[in-house]
Amino acid sequence: MVQGAVANTQYNYEIVKKFAIMSLVWGVFGMSGGVYIAAELAFPFLNFDIAQITFGRLRPVHTSLVIFGFGGNALFATSYYVVQRTCQTPLASNWMAGLTFWGWQAVLFLGVLSYMNGIVDSSKEYAEFPWYLDILIAIVWIAYFAVFLLTLLRRSQPHIYVANWFYLAFILATAILHIFRNLSVPVGLFHPDSYSVYAGVQDAMVQWWYGHNSVGFFLTAAFLGMMYYFVPKQAGRPIYSYRLSIIHFWALSFMYMWVGGHHLHWTALPDWASSLAAAFSIMLLMPSWGGMINGIMTLSGAWDKLRTDPIMLFMITALSFYGMSTFEGPMMSLKSVNALSHYTDWTIGHVHSGALGWVAMITFGSLYHMMPRLWETRLYSTKLVYVHFWLATIGIVLYISAMWVSGIGQGLMLRAFDQYGNLAYTFIETVSFMHLPLVVRMVGGMLFVSGLLLMCFNIYMTIRHAKHEQKAIEEAQLAAKLARAGV
Amino acid sequence: MFEWLSNMENTKPLALVIFFISYVGIVWYVVANRKRSQRLESYKNIPFQEDDALKTQDKVEKNG
Amino acid sequence: MKLTHESIEINAGLMVALVMLAITIGGLVEIVPLYYIEDTVEKVSGIRPYTPLEQRGRDIYIREGCVTCHSQMIRPFRDEDMRYGHYSLAAESKYDHPFLWGSKRTGPDLARVGGKYSNAWHTQHLNNPRDVVPESIMPAYPWLLKNELGYSDVADRMRALKMVGVPYSETDDEYVANVKQFGEEVANMLDINRAEENLVAQAQSQNYDGNRKRLTEMDALVAYLQVLGTMVDFSQYDEGYFATFR
Repeated sequence: MVQGAVANTQYNYEIVKKFAIMSLVWGVFGMSGGVYIAAELAFPFLNFDIAQITFGRLRPVHTSLVIFGFGGNALFATSYYVVQRTCQTPLASNWMAGLTFWGWQAVLFLGVLSYMNGIVDSSKEYAEFPWYLDILIAIVWIAYFAVFLLTLLRRSQPHIYVANWFYLAFILATAILHIFRNLSVPVGLFHPDSYSVYAGVQDAMVQWWYGHNSVGFFLTAAFLGMMYYFVPKQAGRPIYSYRLSIIHFWALSFMYMWVGGHHLHWTALPDWASSLAAAFSIMLLMPSWGGMINGIMTLSGAWDKLRTDPIMLFMITALSFYGMSTFEGPMMSLKSVNALSHYTDWTIGHVHSGALGWVAMITFGSLYHMMPRLWETRLYSTKLVYVHFWLATIGIVLYISAMWVSGIGQGLMLRAFDQYGNLAYTFIETVSFMHLPLVVRMVGGMLFVSGLLLMCFNIYMTIRHAKHEQKAIEEAQLAAKLARAGV
Repeated sequence: MFEWLSNMENTKPLALVIFFISYVGIVWYVVANRKRSQRLESYKNIPFQEDDALKTQDKVEKNG
Repeated sequence: MKLTHESIEINAGLMVALVMLAITIGGLVEIVPLYYIEDTVEKVSGIRPYTPLEQRGRDIYIREGCVTCHSQMIRPFRDEDMRYGHYSLAAESKYDHPFLWGSKRTGPDLARVGGKYSNAWHTQHLNNPRDVVPESIMPAYPWLLKNELGYSDVADRMRALKMVGVPYSETDDEYVANVKQFGEEVANMLDINRAEENLVAQAQSQNYDGNRKRLTEMDALVAYLQVLGTMVDFSQYDEGYFATFR
């Protein structure tokens, strides 16, 4: 570490590097976990009668590791990188940034252990952490907010660039969501279990207010922040329209919070609440597509980059999937469609077209852009990026189509009647029907994970080369010094 | 007028009108005035100004 | 000062404030009224908090993540009515901390599974689902029969639930109030002071897992499954009554 005044003028890249690497590490674990539980659904013997690896316990492991492990670490990494570079100032506090790193990894590690051993709030989807980890998360998050805000405040650039608005909205919204979703009373000071302060219909509404806004702010707004920095940088041209970004930022921030109720259509939630949510879901299409258009049109006039630059390919494909799933979402929030799609694999497919297509693809693109720059070197292999891109894309397409077949198929079977007005199928018949699509889904997931493994290899080689280069330079400098001393 | 406002049921259309107007207001604000538009658009170059006050200094440190 | 969008862009504090404003309105409008609108939860009799044994079963249901594959929320459609029974009421989960409505049916809905199958069927099915349903893809839970049920903390659990609003009784006054509301038999089961003896007694008398000598996790889980959806007697109400609350 360079000491004194110099240290103050340098970007803190060490923390960015650590978060970026952990993003890939948790990504591998989380996505492999996803493939494994997908396999359990197709071939139930894979549960092996071992409590710790049954579907019910591994499912939150999968969701937490991909959302908070892969996605969360990538967001920490890129937000620290972007805020420093667009504000042209180093991070406000290195020790607090370090706290966010170790705190976050501890949450993930302990969370996995807890889930597998049955300490889990399994009805709070995406907030399954036991209460003591919820407290740790809150501490980490406050530190994150402090680092981010203080860095913004000491910027040398007068304006706060749009990417940072999105990161800021994500940090604030996540704090509110996390705190209010997890209000609960522990059984005892040294007891891992706790009970939610909300009951029944209120708990359901709070859950999907939380659940859908985790998608809205954690998996959308924050990754739009990523998009607003890395797409222009990779394309070498500024974002298509700054004014469009102003409009869609405020519209998105305002409207997302209304839509959670569409997860509760036809349930015991009062009709007005879910109808209101559905209305906002439809309107949300506009700001969502505003973001997509802004990203894609950045490339307008330079479309040829798509032929030569696989990183750009990742980013533009991510935006296309974003556009697709933000169209599918409002459609599924219509009550008539939801009656069929809800409770089926269609929902799972929809989530993954967003999570794999949008979130993971934009992250891959951004990391491919950022990581060589962090180590001041070039990517080990561009060809491998191409291979990764195609593995990921084919994997997603297989995944989504399989889920459409099994979801819509099951939905139609469950509501079918025979000529006498009796139910045409038993539930277990729909389960048998779903076997083939579930196998295809598993294969799609495997392709996606193998792409990620290739990426890890590519990044590993890149870093290794960077270290060799660095060493060579140092040796040369040392030799030069010695030579001078000799003379 | 006041009576209409004091009825709780009417908060929904009222809120709709308020939010719609503010939305239209924002849209009008960002596109209506050409000079303002140009000024706003100029900020999109921020990511390209960064490189490199700090980095240059970095290099000086290294070489020095 | 003239307010322009630049004022927000160059002032981080103002931006924080405005973002907070934008993101809090939606949640407030949708959640807060649920606490004040009387119609949210139907007026219906028969619904009571869980007994200590049922509550421990519910804890195990949560621990094993049953909710990831089984919903407890029947929607008002003809096919669901024929397959599962009367659609679920908000009132039926008013003591549920947390709610277990679920979001995915990899297996069938369980909101009204209580009483549909025998205790022996449940025990066999949980021990290995493919013994009774050959095509099932549900994991087997053989440890439920092997693990002794831990219940030394059941009173603490009831106290925590009482703090969040479930009417378990600890003082005499609370007990009397429960007798008034639920009748003596139920009120006795809701008494925290008698939690452990009640739990053991219920498991002994119903013998859910088919083995009276041991009190296993299977006892608790089956006790919970058998009470699901059985509290409301729908024959007492008109067809149209519940629709007025939707």
